[in-house]
Amino acid sequence: MNRNLYQPIDCEIVDIIDESPTIKSFVVVPEEKISFQTGQFVELTLPGVGEAPFTPSSSPADTEKMEITIVKAGRVTNLLHQCKKEQKVGIRGPFGNGYPIDDFVGKQIYIVGGGVGLAPIRSLFLTLVDRIKDFKSVVCRFGAKTPDDFIYKKTLFGSWQKIAGVNMKLTVDEADGEWKGNVGVVTTILAAKDVDIKNAVAVVCGPPIMMKFTTLKLLEFGFAAKDIYLSMEKNMSCGVGKCGHCMIGKYYVCKDGPVFTYEQIEQYPDIFD
Amino acid sequence: METVFISELKPLLDAIAEQMELYIPKKSGEYYVYIKYDPSSEKSVEFNNIRTCTPIKEFLFPLCELAAIFPEPAEPEEIKPFAVFGLKDCDLRSIEILDKVFLEDEFEDLFYVARREKMFIISSDCFEPGESCCCTLFGGRSYAEKGFDLNLAKVKNGFIVEAGSDKGKEFLQEHKDIFVEVPPEALAERDSIRTQTQKQLEENNVEYKLDAPVNEIMENSPDSDVFDIESQKCVECQACTRVCPTCHCFYLYDTKQKDYFAKMKMWDSCMRLAYAEVAGGANPRKVLGARIKHRLMHKFSFFFDRYGIDMCVGCGRCIDADSHKMDIRVVLKKLNEELKDKPKAKVAK
Repeated sequence: MNRNLYQPIDCEIVDIIDESPTIKSFVVVPEEKISFQTGQFVELTLPGVGEAPFTPSSSPADTEKMEITIVKAGRVTNLLHQCKKEQKVGIRGPFGNGYPIDDFVGKQIYIVGGGVGLAPIRSLFLTLVDRIKDFKSVVCRFGAKTPDDFIYKKTLFGSWQKIAGVNMKLTVDEADGEWKGNVGVVTTILAAKDVDIKNAVAVVCGPPIMMKFTTLKLLEFGFAAKDIYLSMEKNMSCGVGKCGHCMIGKYYVCKDGPVFTYEQIEQYPDIFD
Repeated sequence: METVFISELKPLLDAIAEQMELYIPKKSGEYYVYIKYDPSSEKSVEFNNIRTCTPIKEFLFPLCELAAIFPEPAEPEEIKPFAVFGLKDCDLRSIEILDKVFLEDEFEDLFYVARREKMFIISSDCFEPGESCCCTLFGGRSYAEKGFDLNLAKVKNGFIVEAGSDKGKEFLQEHKDIFVEVPPEALAERDSIRTQTQKQLEENNVEYKLDAPVNEIMENSPDSDVFDIESQKCVECQACTRVCPTCHCFYLYDTKQKDYFAKMKMWDSCMRLAYAEVAGGANPRKVLGARIKHRLMHKFSFFFDRYGIDMCVGCGRCIDADSHKMDIRVVLKKLNEELKDKPKAKVAK
C-alpha cells in the first residue's frame, strides 16, 4: 500500500541559525531518511499551526539532516521563527522536480539569486561544487537589500569566494559604511561579457520582480528561453498535483516544477505576479 | 444472468440495504438530494428523473476529513461498504474524472481509495431532462453504459436491472429470487425512452451547440473580455465549485485537538480571492474574471491536456446553483461567437 500523502515525517529541530533580521535557518533531523534532489521542495508542518513549502538549502548529499531557510512572511513562518531547538516539526516530500544537474555538465552555470532566493541556490551551489570539474564554470550574481540581509554570510563572504571554478559577485540595494562591493539591484551586476552564451545555462531564484527583470536581461544577453531555469514560488499545498492552488496554466508547480524553464511558462502572463 | 427485471423498486433496495448502508435520492423542493435509506420508513421510493443537486463527490471525497495526525500517523478510517442509488451517466463520468486525480499511480490518495473500493454504484437512466441538463454538449448521454455495478431503467411495468461489474453480477446471482426475466417488449421500450430522452436533451441545448471542440474554443480565447463581463454577475459565493461533481480543489489546514494535532483536508474553491495567494501577498489571479477564466481553462484545456478527458460532464448543477444564473453554456457560446468573427488566435494552454 502507498503511504498517506498527507502524513508528515516527524523531525526534530537541532539547530537554529539567525541569518538576517527576518531570516532564520533551521537544521532538522527527520526520524526517517528523506532523500531529495537539489531544487525539489518539502512541506514543513508546524503541528497544530500550519504548513508551508520550502526548498531545502542543504546539500542532498547530507542525508542525516536537512536545512531549511525561512523568511518571516506570513502566519506560519512567523510562528516557525518562534520555534526553539528540540521542538518537533513535520516534513512531507520531497515534491516536484529538481535542477537537471546532469544536463548542466560541461556548461557554464550562470546563477542569479536575490534575498531568500539564495536558499535553494545554496543547495544547488553545494551540489555543483561537489563536482565542480564537471562544469565549465559557476558564475554567481547575488543580491540583497542591505549587507545585513545577505544570508549564509560566513560562507558567502568567505570560503565560497575562493573556490576554484567559481566566479562570484555580490550587490546590495543599499550599502552601509563597511560595504565595499557594488550598490544597485542584481541586474546591475549582470554583464554579457561574463557569459559564455554558446555554452551556458542560467538559474534564477529570488523575489518575483527580481526574477522578471533578470529573465528579461538574460534574454537580452542571448540566452534561449529553454536555457533559463526559474524556481517558481506559488501556493503549493498538497505537493502532489491535486489541490490546485499552485497552478500556472496547465502546470502544477508542485509536481511539474518548481523548476521550470522560461520556455515552458513564458506564455502565461501572470507568472511573476 | 446480466439483465433482469423487477416490477417494484422497494424489494431491490431492501435487499441492498440488508447488506450495506444505502443512500437514495429524495425530492427536496424542486431538486433531489441524497438521504440514507430506511427500509422501515420509506414506503415508496422515488425514481429520480435526473441527477441530484448535490454532487456525488461527497461520497468519495467528503467536504472535510482528517488527513493526518501528529505525532501518530493517521490511517484512513475503516470504511464499511455502502451503496448509492440513482446516479446518472454524468455522475459516473464525474467519478471517472475524480479517479484520474485521486487514483493516480504514484500519488494515490488513500482516503479516496478506501471509499471508492467500498462504494456500490446503482445508476439509472434519465428521463424528462432538466432545463440545465446539458450532458450531450459534453459527450454525455441520458443513460450509462459503464462505470456502474447495477443500472436501472424504468419502463411501464417495472425496472430493467443490468449488471455492469462482477460485484453487480454477484448481487443479481445472490438475489435471483426477487427478479424475473426481462419481458421481451421491455427492452424495446427502454431503448425508445433512451432515444427520446437523448433527443430531448439535444433539442434543449441546440442553441448552445458549439462550432468547434470546447478545448479549441477555450485555448483560442486567452484575451477575451467575456470572462470579465460575466464576472460582473458573479457574487463569488463559490456555489458553482461546491456543487460541481468534478471540481476537486482542496485545502489542507492544521488544528489543535485536545491531545493531538490534526491535518484536515477540506474542499476549497479556485473562485476564492486568496486561493492562489502566497505568503508574501503575490496573487496571480486577483481579478475575478481571471479566476473564472482559470476555472474554465482547467475544465476544458488543462485537464484534457493531462488526462485526455474534459473536466466537465454537463450535469448543469453549476447553472442551477448560480444565484445570478451565470450559465456555463452561455459563456462558452459567447466565446464561440467571438471566435467566429476573428482569425484564429495563438493557441495558449
